[in-house]
Amino acid sequence: MADFTAEVFQNEFLPDGGTDVHAIVRITSSGASAATSMGVVDPGSAAEVILIDTSGSMGRRGVMEAGHAARAALNEIVDGTLFAVVSGNGTAQIVYPYAHQGALAVMSSHTRAEARRAVEGLRAQGGTAMGTWLTLARQIFETVPHVQKRHAILLTDGVNEGETPASLQAAVQSCVGVFQCDARGVGDQWRVEEVRAIASALLGTVGLVPEPEELAAEFQAMMRASMSRGVASAELRVWVPQGAELLFVRQVSPTLEDLTGRRSQVNPLTGAYPTGAWSDESRDYHVAVRLPARTLGQEQLAARVSLALGDQPVCQGLVKARWSNDDALTTRIDPAVAAYTGQAELAQVIQEGLAAKASGHDEVATAKLGRAVQLAGQTGNDEMTTRLKKVVEIDDADTGTVRLKKSVSKLDEMSLDTASTKTSRVRR
Amino acid sequence: MTDASPPRLPQATQFPQATGPEPTGAGASGPEPTCPSCGTPNPPDASFCEACGADLAPGQQGTGASPAAYGGVVSPATPQTAPTGEESPLDVGWTGPVPSTATGPAQPTGAEAQPCQSCGEGHYVDGYCDHCGSPPPDPRNHFAESPAPWVGGVCDIGRRHARNEDAMALTATEAPGSRAVLVVCDGVSMATDSHIASLAAARAARAVLDQPLPRGAGTRDAWEAAAARALTTAVATANDAVRSAVEGEQENPPSCTIAAAVIEDGAVVTGNVGDSRVYWLPDRPELPPRQLGRDDSYAHEQMLAGVSRDAAENGPHAHSITRWLGTDAPDDLTPHLTTLAADDTTAGWLLVCSDGLWNYCSAADDMRVLVHNMVTEAGPDPTPTAVAQALVDFANEQGGRDNITVALARLGGQGSQETTGAEAAPQEGDPIHG
Repeated sequence: MADFTAEVFQNEFLPDGGTDVHAIVRITSSGASAATSMGVVDPGSAAEVILIDTSGSMGRRGVMEAGHAARAALNEIVDGTLFAVVSGNGTAQIVYPYAHQGALAVMSSHTRAEARRAVEGLRAQGGTAMGTWLTLARQIFETVPHVQKRHAILLTDGVNEGETPASLQAAVQSCVGVFQCDARGVGDQWRVEEVRAIASALLGTVGLVPEPEELAAEFQAMMRASMSRGVASAELRVWVPQGAELLFVRQVSPTLEDLTGRRSQVNPLTGAYPTGAWSDESRDYHVAVRLPARTLGQEQLAARVSLALGDQPVCQGLVKARWSNDDALTTRIDPAVAAYTGQAELAQVIQEGLAAKASGHDEVATAKLGRAVQLAGQTGNDEMTTRLKKVVEIDDADTGTVRLKKSVSKLDEMSLDTASTKTSRVRR
Repeated sequence: MTDASPPRLPQATQFPQATGPEPTGAGASGPEPTCPSCGTPNPPDASFCEACGADLAPGQQGTGASPAAYGGVVSPATPQTAPTGEESPLDVGWTGPVPSTATGPAQPTGAEAQPCQSCGEGHYVDGYCDHCGSPPPDPRNHFAESPAPWVGGVCDIGRRHARNEDAMALTATEAPGSRAVLVVCDGVSMATDSHIASLAAARAARAVLDQPLPRGAGTRDAWEAAAARALTTAVATANDAVRSAVEGEQENPPSCTIAAAVIEDGAVVTGNVGDSRVYWLPDRPELPPRQLGRDDSYAHEQMLAGVSRDAAENGPHAHSITRWLGTDAPDDLTPHLTTLAADDTTAGWLLVCSDGLWNYCSAADDMRVLVHNMVTEAGPDPTPTAVAQALVDFANEQGGRDNITVALARLGGQGSQETTGAEAAPQEGDPIHG
């Protein structure tokens, strides 16, 4: 059984008349991966679907490497897990299990071998309509509603076509809450924004794989991570007092994800936000609450932040507010709040800067990416600084003075974009 | 979930592990005594909570002071026990509405059954209301004492201060006018831990004054002399209590004022150091109300120099006091002593208060009007505590810029205005030291 703990990082002191409380709540699980470490799971406790792009643009080489990747993923799926492999182009087809076996097969040495053979016969042809792939995945998962942990891997190499953006979005929305999905784009012909929207909505990660030959390692890692998640589903719950306004709820580590709009009401004062499956890990959440100001010296609880498995809360952190006229107390910004606020802005200016550059607004792009360089330096995010250097020439990192590079590899821009939501953990 | 209550949590996972970074939300407990009102751990030898000033000493009742700590004064001959439900919230063992959930995560549910005292809708589930998020009120911030039907007082944080550095300690015997001690102290807010020092001072002084006075020749003069000596001793003992309230070197050692009154068989002796005041407010309009003793304040010196009361009390440094109790107190702490024979003469109110009240109503004439208005508004035959609360409410309505303490004793009984005889002419002066 997994154990969860919650820690709160904040400065609870507000100045006279102050209203806004910011806190980072770190939730850490331990013992969550024990359930799967034996190498076998109870049949029917988890289901995996591998979605492979077999559109014409993949080509012979791409499809061959995608097959290798699918086999690498199949090797990681623990015996007893329900699974299926789907190939997608303008439509979607179940590659395995075979039609007479149903929508999902139970993993065993026998079915693994059958599935490995099945993915060898894939051919590249047709267009890319990811909505149809996701819809088929949803239909597959819906045949096993009793299975708690449902996860898919999606691979694409191109821009969605053959269906409208609205139709893709509708398909994604229909999958929300049905399964989680990690998405990977291979090469430089896919759109980061499009794939990120899919992964974000389905509580998964997005990633760039530059060359098809690197897919197998990526699939292996993704599936291994999924297998380690012994807690199928948890939700973050945030209570704020009567009269308070919850400004936002953001996951800020390991990746940035704004959860504010995903609230479902538990009761009038408490909202729940889905967090998907958990392995042994820590996730940080930034909660901002606006309170009516109280008089100096008064104290108030600004938020209760808890993690719930089903209806059972397993840990809770208390976010507090205390009004003081002592400037030494009220002017300090908590280092964790400051760092994650900076990283959130960093991700935003990177994405906005790249979008401006793509649409030919070089001045805006220069300003945004300059600010990004400045923030990456201030927050000590060396990885992001390295990625930014491939897109801009840095004249002065402290002031954010940069010039756009004349010739930039599209892959470098895309890798900067996909990496923008990864944050570096704030240590205390 | 069908209500707004956050869920109860299993204790094992309720709070973060103590390892690693120290989160602000963690409860901590150690071998130190934990404050019964706010949950803060304190050094093993602490008498009062370092955080909120609440009494940590176990098993104290009534006067609550630890006599040995205050110059070897022995226990009062007639210990006072407050009526059920009216115990001081500062006394350990108090069973009033201060939930114990603030002291830790795994308290029994008794306190949780109490509705929130801030919004009245929620309940305290983890030290905070599940509806409005308020913690239970700190008992140090507002408390009342009603030792007898004719004596009562309220000590309140006011509206603007972060801490209640005022303190109050009362005792009384049941029969009206028979025996009472009223002590009010006002901690100096620039100093460290003045809220602890002021409470220690008030209780130490009460412990001294609660002793039976030597009767001597049995005359009123002899009693008054003994009472005056006791007041002088009480101030010195309170001063010792302030000095020992905080250990070690302090940049701003705590300090406070004191105003005290001893009543016995209708006779009154009062004393003060600093700017906390005692007023005598006779009911009969033709009898002059007046402040007993005088302020040790810059404002008072200004008034002696001819500046008007209004100008002096509102001018710069108006609140600077020239004498106080504490480590850096002046050598001469002889209180301004006053005796008042009121037993067989007239009815009235004896008021002991901090500047949190008189800042809004300084002149004795105005104070009498104010008190009488409050008595009238409080309904038929109000208790002194109810009147004191009304006066605290008045000060808060005026802005509550400072902590407010109001202690009242009803003398001469209600409806005794028809009594004739010698008027209660207060005699200013120090009958002992001249």
